[in-house]
Amino acid sequence: MSHEATTRPGETAAAAGSGEELRPVPFRGGGFKHRPLGPVAPIVFLAILALWELGARSGFISPIALPAPSEALAALGDLIATGMLWKHLGASLYRLIVGWTLGSLLGIAFGLLIGLFSLARAGLLPLVSALFPIPKIALLPLFIIWFGIGEGSKVATILFGTFFPTVIATYGGVDNVDRNLIRMGQSFGLSWLSIVRKIIVPGAMPAILSGFRISASIAIVLLVAAEMIGAEFGIGAYILMAGALFALDQLIAGVAILSVLGLIIAWLIGKAEKRLLAWRS
Amino acid sequence: MFTISRRLLGVLALSGAAALATPASAADKINIGILSLVSHSPSIIAQARGYFADQDLDVEFVSFQAAQPMAVAIASGDVDFGMTAISGGLISLADKGVVKIIGGALQETPEIDGQKILASKAAFDDGVKTPADLKGRSFGITTTGSSFHYMAHKIADKEGFDRSEIKVKPLQKVPAVIASLKSGQIDAWSIVPNIAGALTSGPEVVEIGRISDYIDNYQVTTVFTSTANVTDKPDLVKRFLAGVSNGIADYNAALVDKTMSEEETAEIVAMIHKYVYSDQPIEKADPRIRAGAMRINENAALSVASVEDQLEWFKSENLVPEGVTMEKLVDTSFVETR
Repeated sequence: MSHEATTRPGETAAAAGSGEELRPVPFRGGGFKHRPLGPVAPIVFLAILALWELGARSGFISPIALPAPSEALAALGDLIATGMLWKHLGASLYRLIVGWTLGSLLGIAFGLLIGLFSLARAGLLPLVSALFPIPKIALLPLFIIWFGIGEGSKVATILFGTFFPTVIATYGGVDNVDRNLIRMGQSFGLSWLSIVRKIIVPGAMPAILSGFRISASIAIVLLVAAEMIGAEFGIGAYILMAGALFALDQLIAGVAILSVLGLIIAWLIGKAEKRLLAWRS
Repeated sequence: MFTISRRLLGVLALSGAAALATPASAADKINIGILSLVSHSPSIIAQARGYFADQDLDVEFVSFQAAQPMAVAIASGDVDFGMTAISGGLISLADKGVVKIIGGALQETPEIDGQKILASKAAFDDGVKTPADLKGRSFGITTTGSSFHYMAHKIADKEGFDRSEIKVKPLQKVPAVIASLKSGQIDAWSIVPNIAGALTSGPEVVEIGRISDYIDNYQVTTVFTSTANVTDKPDLVKRFLAGVSNGIADYNAALVDKTMSEEETAEIVAMIHKYVYSDQPIEKADPRIRAGAMRINENAALSVASVEDQLEWFKSENLVPEGVTMEKLVDTSFVETR
């Protein structure tokens, strides 16, 4: 964080000397602003990778503990060369997109209900609190019976995982909308629907979007759990297979793909934030 | 972890005057990895009956949920000895030069009931009456490269259809496979007789064949340790095998050949019950422990041919690095081979 004040000492001193009628006040706002520092992130990444490679090559890191990044890269190369990468990615992206979209839409709907209606809050909020902490992985055997070992149980795992954080982010966002704005709307005689549409939903949007960041990451985490059940293809299934065969290079390659997936999704949500929250600037 | 065993040993040591003559510090401390399965009981019996103490070994048991983490713990040196099926993970670790198979344990023999091939009732009604009908059907496995995967492909090989025509479904854990089979999500599975027996007694699962018809002298599980133990402490390995061999002899006599007196057998079952089905009262656990025990090779003898066949399968499916050899995987200097 950079918070250098934008004072210009020479100017202040000159103003103070020239008497009372001219005393320009230096601009003390600003600061606490993030400057975009583009090259820092790649440099940190590359430095860690270089250290890791060096450690693995020199034998400081044993091959059982961690394979060299170059080996993981080779495994990734194999995946691309055989065309399996697209099969795995396609299967996983389908589950992620369907599960996360349905989970988020349902989550926003329930979150708005809880945020807007007292009856819904009294009835549903304890339910959400009771169901949120249940580890979805523990329910896998039940999911098999309920949703089958096809796509159903995989999508359901991700759906349940993303639903609850979205509900909480949404109703929290609704609760935090500036009451003065709502009252102003009411004094101007806006209808209830207008207030919801023009004040509450945009006001809750920042919270919903940061909820998306969390739920998207949870969806990626749950991908491995979801693909535990009878998945032939998928990044999670690939990672599980690599783990079972103790093929560490493939394991790291799979984990790296998940990381990249996370980065891409975070970037997309960043774009969405810029667009949807344009009204703030 | 099980500190009970050490305490028990302490009590034994205090009760005997002879214990004063041989200080406890003389015993070598070893950790043995076990799963809560009846097939792991030779170590439990050897410990409870003092066969390890006779070999001057101070044993501590470490419980695992699956074979794979046990293999990794042995590679890292946290656990010294273990007994599990030959998995892709184990071979991969052997290729890296950190673990070695030193003996055999559970083996399919024609005269003893072995692993069963099961079908879900829905699949059975749909025409899966024998393993030959598994062409085009789904088969539950825990993970890619597990013993279940191997068995599925051996059935395909012997019945003469392509391995890809039996659709293996990785479900990670045995309970998940059971749930899938019972609900008809998968068509078939193969499993040791005591679990198979419990399943076929219900209406949802039907037995359609036996694994021993498809794999000759299948060496289901093996005894393994770290390469460091093999090269640096061969004497320790020999003493462990001597102790566990006595446990194997008792296990076979009590549960497989049933030549032991009922009184002694009950005593053995009680020992096993401390670690296996320990969440159930002994009256309930007793028949489950006794049912369908498979033979464990005397003196931990190893069927090299079977291990080789399994290694070849792993290689043919590209599940292990190409360079793995039998020499890297097995050290045959400790036990009798056949």
